[in-house]
Amino acid sequence: MAADLGAAERAPYTAVLVGFARALRAAGLPAGTGDAQAFCAAMAPLDPTDMIDVYWAGRATMTSRPADIEVYDRVFRSYFLGAADAAGGKLPAVAPQQGTAVGVLNVPANDVQEGNERPSLQGVMAAGTEVLRHTAFARCTPDELAALRRMMASMRLIPPRRRTRRTVPAGRGHRPDLRRTIRQSMRMCGEPAELYWRRRKLRLRPLILILDVSGSMADYSRCLLQFGYAARRAADRVEVFCFGTRLTRITRALEHQRPDEALDRAAQAVVDWAGGTRIGASLDAFVRTWARQGVCRGGIVVICSDGLDRGDPAVLAAAMERLARLSHRIVWLNPHRGTDRSFTPSTLGMMVAAPHTDLILSGHDLASLEELAEMLPALS
Amino acid sequence: MEHPATVGELADTLRQGGYLADRGLATALFVALNLQRPILLEGEVGVGKTEVAKVLAQVFGRRLIRLQCYEGIDTNQALYEWDYARQMLQIRALSEHQAADESAVDKLFGPKFLLERPLLAAVRAGDQAVLLIDEVDRADDEFEAFLLEVLSDFQVSIPEIGTITAPTRPLVVLTSNRTRELHDALKRRCLYHWIGYPSQQREVEIVLVKEPAAAERLARKVVAAVHRLRELDLAKPPGVAETIDWVKTLDFLGADDLDPGLAADTLGAVIKERDDLDLVRDIMEEITSGGG
Repeated sequence: MAADLGAAERAPYTAVLVGFARALRAAGLPAGTGDAQAFCAAMAPLDPTDMIDVYWAGRATMTSRPADIEVYDRVFRSYFLGAADAAGGKLPAVAPQQGTAVGVLNVPANDVQEGNERPSLQGVMAAGTEVLRHTAFARCTPDELAALRRMMASMRLIPPRRRTRRTVPAGRGHRPDLRRTIRQSMRMCGEPAELYWRRRKLRLRPLILILDVSGSMADYSRCLLQFGYAARRAADRVEVFCFGTRLTRITRALEHQRPDEALDRAAQAVVDWAGGTRIGASLDAFVRTWARQGVCRGGIVVICSDGLDRGDPAVLAAAMERLARLSHRIVWLNPHRGTDRSFTPSTLGMMVAAPHTDLILSGHDLASLEELAEMLPALS
Repeated sequence: MEHPATVGELADTLRQGGYLADRGLATALFVALNLQRPILLEGEVGVGKTEVAKVLAQVFGRRLIRLQCYEGIDTNQALYEWDYARQMLQIRALSEHQAADESAVDKLFGPKFLLERPLLAAVRAGDQAVLLIDEVDRADDEFEAFLLEVLSDFQVSIPEIGTITAPTRPLVVLTSNRTRELHDALKRRCLYHWIGYPSQQREVEIVLVKEPAAAERLARKVVAAVHRLRELDLAKPPGVAETIDWVKTLDFLGADDLDPGLAADTLGAVIKERDDLDLVRDIMEEITSGGG
């Protein structure tokens, strides 16, 4: 037992333990001084020469989510066991990546030609916001996109509300507010003269954006993401996911990065340029890992994709059916729908998904996003 | 009972209470007991998160105070509430002269009319209690913020009475099923341990500790089958609780071995989703073949 060691004898141990905490911090874990202190304190009744004790005490004090554990294990191996840090570059959570493929996303291959004629159209921008409002995002020049963003920032995306189990005082409610009634009756010498009421509080439903960031969809998704970013101010909870061939969650990344950066990084991670889009598999992954945990329970799921699925349609159908049961409403934005009101889904993916969606909009220009913003509060 | 002096001792004590904790969990609990810090347990459904707190209370002879979280839970249900009905009766019983008296009002908001809820009970009980805050992820953000306040100071302020501070700290166990991410501030105040699925050998031990009457052969085969099931791509993989349920069901039916027919009949004990049932029924033979 190490508990009877004097302070002087413990000092070298402490230095080693604090060094370990620093190594963890360097690897990207949020291990603060307080955590390091807790770690040292935790080791006091344990045996600092027993690696297993050190491992578990450190894990209990300095990790706080399952994803931390992998990083912890790696740092532990290299710090205490001297293992070569071979896996260092593999961990996306810590490796600051340089934006190598960013340019690829900005200009989708099929729009290059149109991109060339854009400068002449730029003059039209001065003609007013109305033209811009009806220009498909994929056809906009960067300057026009910037202008659109400014316009978007002033829009408010308000998901529908739902009643919660929490109550607030109200003039006309359904439940008596006993606490307030008693308090007030004290003023009347104990005469409960007036009955006060409470009613159930309303709260915004969570909003979940699932964005296709592959190839030609990237530009549309980018604008929608901007839209969702603006919604974070209004809604209680906004979750953002991206997919191409795989699915990834970028909600946390959005807290620290600008939307563009976050999307570029996500695209690098999930888009396999030759692999095509796998909507079915991505939505299936979403249902299994996130929806089942309750991320979209009672929420509005907005999927932005053209429905061109390279995978098995049965997977997509099953995933959509599940998603429909786990969420409150599903809105599908298909930019290829355009302004055509009598649009009928033509791609196999869309046909399979359509029966499970509550609303199909286009979302290809600002006007259609405004339409979404308008319809959203009524989706309750 | 006194606190154990080593991790091994704690693990033995828990084993006597019918809980097999691995080295990681035992160390985390040992540290939590020594540092008097709350411990947050996360893990898949049915791996024994809640059970830990129950067994800890039992083996240390402490009182288990359980706060089940749900959406909309507020201070009235978690901390304390005034007994309004009794207050009302008391007021009615007072004469006008008495009611005007200051002390009558003080009495009305005295301990006699205070209804103790789990958190206040735990603060008052101090180290005589194990406080289990179950499924904290189900409560909403507002409640989490409030919980933070209680967990950092272990004191409760009641405007009418004053501040009640815990003489000693209770052992606090929080559990979460990760239906949502908890706030970092709350996590920072807790030790953290992720409980995973146990190894096959260990799970057999757990089953036999929980169901001593069951045949060991049966336990082995069921555990092997459940491990196969976990490897499948199921929407809801079975937890340890389901394994125990399954063994219990089969044992009740008088089985001492697992064959495909029997497994198919009792599948409802482990698989609780229709899509999963369809998937599993087709490969029943293969699933029940291991563990012999």
